[in-house]
Amino acid sequence: MGLEFLARVRTTSMIAVAFAAIFVVTYVSPAWAGAFVLGALWSLLNLVALEKIVVGLTTPRQDSAAMLRRAGGGAALLFALLAVGAVLLSRLDPVALLVGFGVPFAIIILKALSLVLVSSAFWRRLTAPSGRTLGMLAACVLLVWAARPLIARAQEGGHGAGTETHPSGSGVTELPTFITLIENGLGADHPVSHFLHTWENVIFSLLVAAILIVVTGLALRRPTTGVPGRFQNAVEMVMEQLHDFFVGILGPTHGPRYVPYLGTLFLYIIMMNLFGLIPFMKSATSSLNITAALGLTTFAYVQFEGIRNLGIVGYLDHLAGNPRSVIQWGMVPLMLPIHVLGELAKPISLSCRLFGNIFGEDMLLVAFMGLGVSILAFTHLPFGIPLHWPLFIGLALLSSTLQALIFSVLSSIYFLLMLPHEHEAEAHH
Amino acid sequence: MDFHAALALGLPLGIGVAAIGSGIGLGGIGLGAMQAIGRQPEATAKIQLAMIIIAGLAEALTIYAFVTMFMLNGKIG
Repeated sequence: MGLEFLARVRTTSMIAVAFAAIFVVTYVSPAWAGAFVLGALWSLLNLVALEKIVVGLTTPRQDSAAMLRRAGGGAALLFALLAVGAVLLSRLDPVALLVGFGVPFAIIILKALSLVLVSSAFWRRLTAPSGRTLGMLAACVLLVWAARPLIARAQEGGHGAGTETHPSGSGVTELPTFITLIENGLGADHPVSHFLHTWENVIFSLLVAAILIVVTGLALRRPTTGVPGRFQNAVEMVMEQLHDFFVGILGPTHGPRYVPYLGTLFLYIIMMNLFGLIPFMKSATSSLNITAALGLTTFAYVQFEGIRNLGIVGYLDHLAGNPRSVIQWGMVPLMLPIHVLGELAKPISLSCRLFGNIFGEDMLLVAFMGLGVSILAFTHLPFGIPLHWPLFIGLALLSSTLQALIFSVLSSIYFLLMLPHEHEAEAHH
Repeated sequence: MDFHAALALGLPLGIGVAAIGSGIGLGGIGLGAMQAIGRQPEATAKIQLAMIIIAGLAEALTIYAFVTMFMLNGKIG
């Protein structure tokens, strides 16, 4: 008993409130669930403040000023909570708020009762043979099972809030994102949700870009050439690996020039791919528009670098297949269209490959999640079996990394094809 | 056979046919890479990189069929 008991009550109430909130969102309404969670939070904070006061007043210390300050802080928190609670009571559903407020107290009472019960002789005699315990558990489960249709009927008799369907279950082919949640909250006709729906993929790609920029910016805020901190060290390690990797492909003379572009491409794509595995997030690369933009950027940069490195004449010569003899000149009408078509096919194949893989991977996850939910649909519980775990999550992790690697390596090979062929020149002379 | 029935038959079949092709291709790539690693274990990193790239290219063919399936999926029924 004592402080440890309070801490355990806190943990248990948090878990209980989280589980109960899932049920309340499904069966009653999101607003009610919000009020319930806020009420529970209010009550928990109250307990924390009380604990602070008691601990502050009872712990023996050298200076009584610090002790009083601690207790005073707790009391101030208590009064602030009282004010917040009054505001909440006037705004939200008071019943939900009070039910949430009561959760920790109910748990305290239940815990105390169970402590008394478990140590009693009656309980020990009841649970001594394990067969009897199992039988009792089975009876409890059966009882709950039998009560379920009654609850369902009560739901239907209620205010019809249970008719809300889950966005993941009803023929929607994508997992819900936080944008879907906002749309559901505002209604589909609201201009904000229309805007969000139109720009969903762009928002997610910009989010990823912002994360990358912030992380790099934080690492470079106080850069040191001496012994770097842990964070700078990690970022530098990634940079060095990428640098060595792409320079290894492109060669030491031309390589460093393209490392910033290719490395950024790799990091950006892998981040976007992996973003889809976070709940309520989405892979921006599962939209063809985003991958087409990436493919076109690479295409334009490759052509620009070709012209810059080879000159206009050299570039056209390259497209014509470097004709040197009469036979090769005769082949030019054949080679030129092939090379031009080959160049044009590069962005298409790059973007379609990335899009197809990531989209397919996401569809796979959606299909198995939907299956996991529909298996348990007959129980009417807001749960499913996570069938996509861990096999398909692992597969998605693998293919996300692999596709980012393939995209950036193929881009670097397109750069390599456009660069002056230093190895061939050495071999000829 | 009307349009819907043809689609409903053809889309899964198309994925299957594409999967046969890229399966053969992936098998060949894996065979070649494993043999090359067996001959020259010191070149493993280079061979693996090339293998992954070519495997990505071969695998993409099935993915194209898969994407086509998803694009035309809504027109069935």
